[in-house]
Amino acid sequence: MHRRPSFPKDLASPSDPAIFEAAAAEFPAAFAGVGETGRRQLLQAMGASLALAGLTGCTSDEPDEQALPYVRQPEYRAADRPRHYATAVAGIGGYAQPVLGTTYAGRPTKLEGLPEHPASLGAADAFTQAALLGLYDPTRSQVPRRLGQPADWGAFDAMMVETARRLDARQGEGLRLLTGQQTSPTFARQISQIVERWPKARWHVLEPVNEDQRLAATALAFGRPLQVLPRLDLAEVVVSLDDDLLGPGPQQTRNARMWSQRRIAYQAGQGDHRLFVAEPTPSLTGVAADDRLAVAPGRIGAVGQALAARFGLAPAPATLSAREQAWVGAAAAALSQAQGRALVSVGALQPPAVQTLGLALAHRIGAVGTTLRLAEPVALAPPDGGASFGALVAAMAAGAVDTLLILDANPAYAAPADSGFAESLRRVRQTIHAGLHVDETAHLCAWHAPVEHDLETWSDARAVEGTVSLIQPLVRPFYAVRSRHAVLETLQGRPVASGRGLVAATWRERFGAAFESLWAGALRRGFVEDTAAPEIAAAAAAIPAPAPHAPSSGLELVFRPDPTIWDGRFASNAWLQELPKPLNKVTWDNILAVGPDLALAHGLESGDIARVAAGGRTIEAAVWITPGQSRRTLTAFLGYGRRLPDQVGDGHGYDAYEIRPQATPWALTDVVLSKVGGGPRLATTQPHQALDQPGIVRAVTPAQARAPKPPPADAVSFYPPVPKDGPQWGLSIDTDLCIGCNACVTACDAENNIAIVGKDLVAEGRQMHWLRVDHYVEGDPAAPREAFQPVPCMHCEDAPCEVGCPVGATVHGPDGLNLQVYNRCIGTRTCSSYCPYKVRRFNWFDYTGSDPPERRAQRNPNVTVRTRGVMEKCTYCIQRISDARIQAKLENRAIADGEIRTACQQTCPTQAIVFGDVSDPSSAVSRRKAQARDYSLLPEENTRPRTTYLARIRTNGEGG
Amino acid sequence: MPQIFTASADTWLRAWVIGLAVAAVGAGLAGGGLANSSYLSRQAWPVDQPVPFSHKHHVGELGLDCRYCHTGVETSANAGFPPTTTCMTCHSQIWTGAAVLAPVRASLVTGEPLAWNRVAKIPDYVFFNHAIHVNRGVACEECHGRIDKMPLTWRAHAFKMRFCTDCHRDPAPHLRPPDQVTRMDWTSWDADPRNRGYGAARMRALHIQPAKLINCEICHR
Repeated sequence: MHRRPSFPKDLASPSDPAIFEAAAAEFPAAFAGVGETGRRQLLQAMGASLALAGLTGCTSDEPDEQALPYVRQPEYRAADRPRHYATAVAGIGGYAQPVLGTTYAGRPTKLEGLPEHPASLGAADAFTQAALLGLYDPTRSQVPRRLGQPADWGAFDAMMVETARRLDARQGEGLRLLTGQQTSPTFARQISQIVERWPKARWHVLEPVNEDQRLAATALAFGRPLQVLPRLDLAEVVVSLDDDLLGPGPQQTRNARMWSQRRIAYQAGQGDHRLFVAEPTPSLTGVAADDRLAVAPGRIGAVGQALAARFGLAPAPATLSAREQAWVGAAAAALSQAQGRALVSVGALQPPAVQTLGLALAHRIGAVGTTLRLAEPVALAPPDGGASFGALVAAMAAGAVDTLLILDANPAYAAPADSGFAESLRRVRQTIHAGLHVDETAHLCAWHAPVEHDLETWSDARAVEGTVSLIQPLVRPFYAVRSRHAVLETLQGRPVASGRGLVAATWRERFGAAFESLWAGALRRGFVEDTAAPEIAAAAAAIPAPAPHAPSSGLELVFRPDPTIWDGRFASNAWLQELPKPLNKVTWDNILAVGPDLALAHGLESGDIARVAAGGRTIEAAVWITPGQSRRTLTAFLGYGRRLPDQVGDGHGYDAYEIRPQATPWALTDVVLSKVGGGPRLATTQPHQALDQPGIVRAVTPAQARAPKPPPADAVSFYPPVPKDGPQWGLSIDTDLCIGCNACVTACDAENNIAIVGKDLVAEGRQMHWLRVDHYVEGDPAAPREAFQPVPCMHCEDAPCEVGCPVGATVHGPDGLNLQVYNRCIGTRTCSSYCPYKVRRFNWFDYTGSDPPERRAQRNPNVTVRTRGVMEKCTYCIQRISDARIQAKLENRAIADGEIRTACQQTCPTQAIVFGDVSDPSSAVSRRKAQARDYSLLPEENTRPRTTYLARIRTNGEGG
Repeated sequence: MPQIFTASADTWLRAWVIGLAVAAVGAGLAGGGLANSSYLSRQAWPVDQPVPFSHKHHVGELGLDCRYCHTGVETSANAGFPPTTTCMTCHSQIWTGAAVLAPVRASLVTGEPLAWNRVAKIPDYVFFNHAIHVNRGVACEECHGRIDKMPLTWRAHAFKMRFCTDCHRDPAPHLRPPDQVTRMDWTSWDADPRNRGYGAARMRALHIQPAKLINCEICHR
């Protein structure tokens, strides 16, 4: 499988320009100035390097710092032992992402999934991992502002009291509250308080990526809006109609966790596991699918109808292509074989009619109540439901709004293009914005109030399946900021209340007399037990009308949230900006996905700028040729094109909201595409560190997977045998379970103090991620086979890098670790050139020295912060190994299996990564490596890597 | 054609060559001497502190145990500095008005911590763990010296890598009974013939392998 479909299959003569191009793509920095530097400049540079080389040694070894003890030390606590708190962050859609926060000396340094929580079981997605950096964001809003100028809270409170008095006089008429989607019980209590006091006040919601169409569909089918909760752990056959079940979003952790449970059982030979996906644009679910159909967005309904027709639920649609027929036939056959253990799921972004069709089909095959659970909606519903935001703007335009408080929403950026929000806002007398950042909306509002980050605030929120998490602070706020609940309290003209008191008041009502013990228990556990949304036994779904199918003569365009920035809310998070997007590995930018045929027809190449016109509006976007894209479909990703002066996310990418209409927020028809010209270079890591040769990604048939492992060939080695004494660490990565979600990469960022280098240096191939997730594409560009492969350091037993280092800065440890000693490293980079896996990263510049104090506070104190001029790489989280080793020695015992988990392993939602002692045949990692699917990368190099892979299981054995 | 070189040119050349060689060797010696000097290693240089705390008085004369103040030493990587309240357990009763203790009282009143200047500090890329050393029986005095004789605290040893590796290569002579780790004067214990071979026996009992202890990852991560 190849990372670049255009890579020459047979390596022709070395002068072949294609090879030069490929090498330049893989090593952009090395080829940047080739042909431009003369002999003299080269000699000058070499001479200067030699003369100045000694200066790099002139760094101070001595930390010049003071020791600041506690004034009053908390009991039973040594300052340098970590403390853990169970809490949650309110993530996408306001849904709780439960976490266990680690703090050192009061500083939160790492978030892990909460092991006991029913929705996550210890896993966490990339957004949740990166929430930690949001806490330390130095560009967060730190003081209240009035008309853009810093103000103080006293003036803000005085204004709020005055506003409350004005509202009291007319029962709150003209008060509007606009928020993002909320799940917080305390928020619900406060809203009902406000409405009780001021009956004419109204609450509105703007959530750019929402489930309104799904709620509308369930209302059509079951008579009331319901939450749809797939149980992928029970589903042996899953048919997804444009539903990105495994993709980013609030449900990702839960879905991926359950999907992997089913997959692991299938690997062991229990039952079947097949995934059919029909979708217009590639998604993580599509990559995991056994049978993926690229289909135009407008034809999803027709495909669904054809599938329903096989079960006698609808008349067969008129036209289906042969490929569509084949897909429908295979999916229908699989579904009818696995009735009761099958699932049909339609994406929340599909029109309600198509979703209703899917629900009827799910009901017909016995999925409802088994693999598809229904529950009361977890998110709080605003009075106007899906029309909430439109109703607000209409009221504003009519001059009916006196006071508008905007909390955790950014309508000036994320409102649909045709809503006219900004113009209507001028007719509002008093505008107040409360949020983490001074964003586009804050600039339009008279007042801005900074609020607390979830890791420093008191609140509560519900996970996707309803379980309530209590959000407790890991640290006191750094700045003069307030909890969201306190802001809502001051809105009512009341004195500032403590966030804890407001949350406790909610739960005092619910817990009653047993409050103290239940509250303490919930805080310790991190969630309130038995609060999952109860399952609802639904009546038979209404037989839907045939899905409307309007053939589009022009191009179609679908909108998708960005895989790392979502709807724009994570634009200020550098970890997420630099996180390569799963399917194109672009960083710091969003792209317009175009299929290969369409790109050819328009003369477009990846990185070119294209103009997209629809409904009288245009945007200009960088094109990315996307294999597997449906032929006449474009995909625009939301979240970029932010206007945030002095903040990390300012100015990157294009703003897809500018052409997003209110009426059809997820799809546009009759779109006109035209080429503008070449664009600035996109910082993509797709061609970097390529291992383009056969056998890197492998697939086997189910029968091969369950066969016994052949005895290993006795490889001859010139190296002396490595003494093996004590535990021998190794890692196994199951590519059959990996969905490419990037959670591991972000977890590694947080755990190992990985530096962020910015767009320009990523484009040069100088990104610092110790763990990369390679994305492979193979076969027909219109219907490719794709795969993901996480690549950390292989920790080779016979490591080439160790031979290369002239100063012994990379050496072998007795437990099999390939060590990197930063203080010995002089930066020759020989090790990196010797490494066949290209997992070493070099500090070209001082990436950390000028960091503000807030950023320094985030760093893991157990990991060295690397300086300029040293090489670094994955250490298997050696700090965790050392800590476990010392603790085990203190307690005079051996290290237990599973006691050490690497950061990537701990967060992985699909349990694809297992770490442990390979010298113990009963350890989890040894049992994995004993499978027939086990293989190592580049075995011909004879490096004996400790990191090995399990091949994907494919019914035809292809895709490897 | 006139002479290019004067008659003394050869002499000047020799003088320059010898002079340069002497200067190079001298610079090397001076640099090496500086690198090994206690000026850079700060060995035996008392460190100024906000409060002139005397270990000699508190440990040597009053007999306070190290762990009364450095509470983390047995359980965590850092020994830890005492919180202000620890100082005030006694100094709320004695020397309550002493001028030298004014910063301690101010700290308790304002809640601002005392800012001690570190004496025994190691580079950021070295990860030393007190707990494992103390539990294995490496006495405080091994690294910190006769703290009970220091009126102001100074570094007893140059904390260079060699100081660590000398002991990691051959730990036996440095192992003492863990229940006495805070003891300062070991001359009588060392002289006692019953204690001969104690370190070697401890190494066997605890499976201490010097070959592993000198690996890079023991201290560097």
